[in-house]
Amino acid sequence: MVAKEINRESRGTASGQAWVIGIAAWAVPGLGHLLVRRWLRALLLGGAIWVMFLTGLALGGHLFILRGDEWGFSSLVQLLPMIANVGLGALYVGCWLMNTGFAENAQRLTYEYGNTFLLVAGLLNYLAMLDAFDIAAGRKE
Amino acid sequence: MRHVLWMSVFAALTAIVFGVVAKGDTKQRVRYAVKVFAEFLVVAFILGWILYFLPFR
Repeated sequence: MVAKEINRESRGTASGQAWVIGIAAWAVPGLGHLLVRRWLRALLLGGAIWVMFLTGLALGGHLFILRGDEWGFSSLVQLLPMIANVGLGALYVGCWLMNTGFAENAQRLTYEYGNTFLLVAGLLNYLAMLDAFDIAAGRKE
Repeated sequence: MRHVLWMSVFAALTAIVFGVVAKGDTKQRVRYAVKVFAEFLVVAFILGWILYFLPFR
């Protein structure tokens, strides 16, 4: 009963500011923690995700996107990794606007490593985004 | 050797993020990050050796 009350209260305290910080954390890795003044967290989380993203591109990995010509299962094969990549926020959008990072370099020896770096960087940024949101909402120290 | 290097870089960066978002005090989180890093490497080496003996070609 008490736990339910606490849960209800903590759910209710997610202010508009917390949502803005969550979106900022998604948009630019590390920015959410900078806004809640968690400098070391911002440096470690943002740094790790940025390094992962840049390393992924340098290794010849590519970002996934739905081009509209996929059907059935092949669209699912593109959609799931695209959701992971979209976790990179503005980095993904910037690459999309500049048409960079979407070309496949399968001839590169480290191509699969690059893909993995880019996919996991996006997923880790989702994790960092939730962490920043929880801190801003007062659910986490 | 290059594969081990990139696998280690991947494991280190992922372990950092996992360690930072984990619950507990600083000591516990550092320990958790080191554990995650070590687990990544150990599992990768074990899987690598298993795959080495499998006749895929």
